[in-house]
Amino acid sequence: MPTASFKDGLLGEIKNLRAFAISLSGSVSLADDLVQEALLRAWSNSEKFQPGTSLRAWLFTILRNIYYSNYRKRAREVQDSDGFYARRLTVPGDQESHLDLEDFRRALTRLPAEQREVLTLIGASGLSYEEAAVICEVGIGTIKSRLSRARSKLAELLALDNASGTPAERKVRRAG
Amino acid sequence: MNGTRKNANAAPDFAAPDPKALEAIGRALEAHYADLVQAPLPEKFVELLARLEAGDRASEPQGSGDANG
Repeated sequence: MPTASFKDGLLGEIKNLRAFAISLSGSVSLADDLVQEALLRAWSNSEKFQPGTSLRAWLFTILRNIYYSNYRKRAREVQDSDGFYARRLTVPGDQESHLDLEDFRRALTRLPAEQREVLTLIGASGLSYEEAAVICEVGIGTIKSRLSRARSKLAELLALDNASGTPAERKVRRAG
Repeated sequence: MNGTRKNANAAPDFAAPDPKALEAIGRALEAHYADLVQAPLPEKFVELLARLEAGDRASEPQGSGDANG
């Protein structure tokens, strides 16, 4: 039976697990189903977790497997439909280079899942290239190339690449 | 592009964004994720773990039944 400290470990990781699930599936409702399944699976397989290794990486691996085997099709149908990405927030930063979070999230959903997950794992979840490679079952070279593809696709979608002016300026121009 | 970089072991078929764009993307990604992590956690997950723990304790004398659900 899982120990109390294993349970506390799970509790401490749920928020991160959920953030990863939302980023991966593009839907809060799907993500919550995913998190629930991942927690159930983690609980019944607790003996397979090696103490001293990253619980976060282990949970992400479980959740990712569930996503690719059962949820990917559903995700395409419900993405964006639960209104989550309609939230209006602006990314803090200097005036010149601020990005609208809504724009960013919309762009994120347009990336292939393989790129989106690498971007999330490394750019936001604080995992290493090595951990991301294990989670995604590919080599580090593949992780790096997915990461740079993801970044350049985002730059393209957000019109950040080489175009003249800052995003904010272009937005004004487009609106005018 | 004919700009070559030492550590680019494979020539990418896409242009790398400029440093300012990369910075903006990195910041947006962090803000996106931080916003999600900060969101209140649905009670159901905490309840689920409590149920699992209670269920395991209740079925403990039974020994290890089938754990595949």
